[in-house]
Amino acid sequence: MRLPRLYAKKRGHRRTVSREWGVLGDGIFHAILLAAGMFFGGLLVSGVVAPEWRINHEFVRTTCTIQAKGLARITRPDPPAGVVAHWEPRLLVRYSTDGVVRESWARITAHDTAVERDTAIGRLSGWKLGAEVPGWFDPGVPDDVVLQRGYSFWLWLLVLLLPGALVLIGGSGLVRRLRAWGKSEERLAASAGLSELLDPLAQPVHAAPGHPGVPQWDDLVNSPGTILRYRLPVESPEYWTVFGFGFFALLWNLVVVVLAVGPGLDLLGGRFEWLVVALLVPFLIVGVGGVVLFVRSLLLATAIGTTQVEISAHPLLPGGRYDVLLAQGGTGVLRSLELLLELEEQATFRQGTDTRSEQITVYRQPVAACGDVRPAPTSRFETRTVVEIPADAMHSFTSAHNAVRWRLVVRGIPDRWPAFSRAFPVVVLPPANGAAASRATHDAAAERETP
Amino acid sequence: MMVDPQERSVGNPRIEVFFAHQRRQYEPGDRLAVRYVVEGCEGEMIRVIEHSVVWYTEGKGEEDLGVHFFERITDRGAVASAGRDGAFETTLPASPLSYEGLIVKVRWCVRVRLFFASGRDFVSEHVFLVGRIPPARLPPRGL
Repeated sequence: MRLPRLYAKKRGHRRTVSREWGVLGDGIFHAILLAAGMFFGGLLVSGVVAPEWRINHEFVRTTCTIQAKGLARITRPDPPAGVVAHWEPRLLVRYSTDGVVRESWARITAHDTAVERDTAIGRLSGWKLGAEVPGWFDPGVPDDVVLQRGYSFWLWLLVLLLPGALVLIGGSGLVRRLRAWGKSEERLAASAGLSELLDPLAQPVHAAPGHPGVPQWDDLVNSPGTILRYRLPVESPEYWTVFGFGFFALLWNLVVVVLAVGPGLDLLGGRFEWLVVALLVPFLIVGVGGVVLFVRSLLLATAIGTTQVEISAHPLLPGGRYDVLLAQGGTGVLRSLELLLELEEQATFRQGTDTRSEQITVYRQPVAACGDVRPAPTSRFETRTVVEIPADAMHSFTSAHNAVRWRLVVRGIPDRWPAFSRAFPVVVLPPANGAAASRATHDAAAERETP
Repeated sequence: MMVDPQERSVGNPRIEVFFAHQRRQYEPGDRLAVRYVVEGCEGEMIRVIEHSVVWYTEGKGEEDLGVHFFERITDRGAVASAGRDGAFETTLPASPLSYEGLIVKVRWCVRVRLFFASGRDFVSEHVFLVGRIPPARLPPRGL
């Protein structure tokens, strides 16, 4: 019997791993997740959920008279110090079951948690000696009494969330792998409906109707232009930079505030823990740095003014010519402002446990260039031009991990700010009349090459 | 008619595929007709045969696969016949076109996959072109 090879055929820039070993490893991984989820779920159900359910459904109601108050001492080993003691509040109650009068140290709730001694005493203060209160006892063990019923919803949530998530991820992954076992990748890809359900983390690719592999362009044509037909949406990395810095600064400083509460209260109380304050200082410096970076990136993004690109038609076709309006707002002077047509390839791949993405521009054509641009507060700078899509252009393409994207890019150099670049994606379709157009393009190219 | 010697896996079986178009060059909307001959399977029983016309990506990114045509033959009589030679055809879609990019490539191919009674399978892949997109090149410096 031959074992599957660890590495399969080399594809493109890398050698792909063996599919059989990959499926086996993935199956084992998901089986471990499923087993862990079922194990921890079982522990929580048997230790927490089932006892609570029994108290609410099977315990018998009775009337208890409170005779005394007490604390149960719970100890657990805590090496190397020895043991740590916590306390649970208990009430000595008298009640009758089937004509037999009993006395027992009752729990107040189904899950009395061990707490500090003072807290446990505080929980007993609301109960009065001699008072008659309702209680519930276990018909199988009549000495087991509780004085309050109900459900600990956070525990049920814990049962649902943690083991539930493990069971869901592990189970769906295992089913997906079992379903794929012995099936060709073509057969699996041809019946992708259930696979998508079983793999909710996979990003679905929405192709344009009638054009497999071409991205949908609904989002690019839902905004009318002021002069031309469509205003293209901007895809600018600087806005994501602002968001990223802002989010980081907010989260980090929240952590700093939480860490600073204790030392701050100590300081107000007249105690100064210099060691704690010294530990806090680096966190504070990073927090201030985060705010500075956020404010700087916000200034850079907003100081230049908005850029708008409008186009006369969309989607675009190879060989087509389209009117384009470039408009730049703001008040500052720009030394140069240029519009380019670009084609970018994007590949997403896994490297170890990371998912990485690489882009490369494979076509760049200047469309318009302006110098000494001076937009005014009341009137933006505008220029009209024509963009031509190459007749033999690759159409826009997108799949789960790869893309070929066309875009109009505006590059500007302000007088007093760093250079900026803003991209406006467009979709280019394959030639409209398919074979004929493609052949005509090829023939024309062949004629041009003929001396 | 043309024979494509490219095999995706090395093994005893050999599948020769005959394309109807010269140089395996097709345009979107063209009818793709394929005939194939299986050799070297003597002594091994073929259980299932799959015919498919797919596009896949190649390059730096993870491989993506799109199935345009898929046919699975499980009937014992049909398998016995298709296990010697067979044919299938389909109309090609409008996209994606074959593309030779720098880090993203799109390829079209015909696959004939044989599943043997022993449990192993053998796939023969034959690449063809859809459209006439020239290979991508880096833009000149300075742009």
